[in-house]
Amino acid sequence: MSRRLRQLIAPGAWGVLVLLTWEGFVRWRKIKLFLLPPPSRIWRELRENRSGILHVTSNTGTNALIGLVLGVIAGVVMALVAQRFVALRDAITPLSAALNTMPIVAIGPIFYNLFGTTSAIPRRAVVAIVVFFPIFLNVVNGLTQTEATHEELLRSYAASDASVLWKLRMPNALPFLMTGLKLAASLAVIAAIVVEYFGGLQNGLGSRVTSAMKSSATARGWAYIAGACALGIGFYSVVTAVERVAMPWRRRRSD
Amino acid sequence: MTDVVAMSGLSKVFNPGRANQVDALLEIDLKVSAGTFVSLIGPSGCGKSTLLRVIADLTPPTGGTLSVNGKPAAQARADQDYGMAFQAAGLFDWRKVVRNVELPLELRRMGKAERRTRALAMLELVKLPDFAEHYPWELSGGMQQRVAIARALAADPPLLLMDEPFGALDEMTREHMQAELTRICAATQKTVVFVTHSIPEAVYLSDRVVVMSPRPGRIVKVVDVDLGARTDDMREQPQFFKKVTEVREALRGIGAGAPRGVDDR
Ligand SMILES: Nc1ncnc2c1ncn2[C@@H]1O[C@H](COP(=O)(O)OP(=O)(O)OP(=O)(O)O)[C@@H](O)[C@H]1O
Ligand SMILES: [Mg+2]
Repeated sequence: MSRRLRQLIAPGAWGVLVLLTWEGFVRWRKIKLFLLPPPSRIWRELRENRSGILHVTSNTGTNALIGLVLGVIAGVVMALVAQRFVALRDAITPLSAALNTMPIVAIGPIFYNLFGTTSAIPRRAVVAIVVFFPIFLNVVNGLTQTEATHEELLRSYAASDASVLWKLRMPNALPFLMTGLKLAASLAVIAAIVVEYFGGLQNGLGSRVTSAMKSSATARGWAYIAGACALGIGFYSVVTAVERVAMPWRRRRSD
Repeated sequence: MTDVVAMSGLSKVFNPGRANQVDALLEIDLKVSAGTFVSLIGPSGCGKSTLLRVIADLTPPTGGTLSVNGKPAAQARADQDYGMAFQAAGLFDWRKVVRNVELPLELRRMGKAERRTRALAMLELVKLPDFAEHYPWELSGGMQQRVAIARALAADPPLLLMDEPFGALDEMTREHMQAELTRICAATQKTVVFVTHSIPEAVYLSDRVVVMSPRPGRIVKVVDVDLGARTDDMREQPQFFKKVTEVREALRGIGAGAPRGVDDR
């Protein structure tokens, strides 16, 4: 059996187990539908409202994706600038570590005020900001935490700063970028959903979940949540695939 | 014969004038003529690596004069006049073996096809032609060390600087690597400055063994080794043991054999 297949089977089996337990628990304790609907009910909701959920999920997914790409580009560019100027790096890195914890509840309204609630920009900008920090911090580390022997080696060849950046720092930062990217991919989806709670266009998963829950259509709310899960899994899988392609030397011996 | 390395009165003080001042090297006079193999041996912390790093222009001396390949050390480094190998192989994980060997050639802006040919020839020399397309983690420690030597040789520098390159290897691999290195050096006419902790290794490899003493690091004795062609049999010859004893006694003379209260490592 191939490794890839085995990697899929384990989480799949766990997923099924969780769903079965959930279904059994809800039926056994006769939990009220508006509190926690069983998976079977959510599934029915998903099928009946398929095109609607798909549409809303793709709206949020687009916001998350655009924000993610922008945030990653900004994070990498800023990291490259920061590693070049030590003074800047020392100033900016602790600052970003602090800003990293800034909650969406604080920045969401600012951007809605700035760009208006009928624009898609605020939501994407918030995603980009949330994504920026883990990427920036990880890439700065990767660019600067190089092995002493490697640095001396390049120095012994009288390599230029540009060569050191290109041949040592950047490849050294790649695994760090991937770690940041995995974090960022999940964060992007969460941010894109949560930012909708604070206003703006009502065409995404976040607003649909809130309105469904408010009107006690809990099963419908959970169907949207399932859409959010699918988005999260999708983003994560893409990043894992990118990782495999970008770092072929990381592939371990196949047994 | 011309001197590839020539230093006189060379000193190195770390952190001068501060509480943690270290007199790493004091008034070193050393000449290494073209085509000779010189080993540096001495107790831990006596300044062997520092001496090598000064020759390589990786750290500046604080006194004395130094010329490498007939020019200032900085110029020799800029001209890639030497190749260096460290105790750790220091290969780039993200490059295949052959691309690791190509690294110094890339930095010399050699053309793609030419540097591939050259790198493959180097891998042939260290007997690893079949591993060109492997990643470093697929190789054993000894094989990685051989790749590092191929990399140091790739640009065909007249001088090789090696800092305990076989330190992490087992005895058998080590002897094998020593034989390979003498073969390679004989074939390519290199001048070598080689740091080691092993007396038999120093005697086997060298034309001259330089014995150093610690704090401040200086040369206490130079043992000329003139044993002719190196073979495995030679390791069991009385002349070989005589030289080993001579080096050992020089080291004893500075108290290197006895356990010391302070160790810098
Ligand atoms: N960058 C540095 N700053 C301050 N002191 C240093 C530095 N590098 C080396 N030293 C000191 O210089 C002395 C010589 O160090 P060096 O590394 O050259 O020893 P060595 O002979 O190579 O030892 P070993 O056999 O253990 O490798 C030591 O006392 C060490 O503490
Ligand atoms: Mg050393």
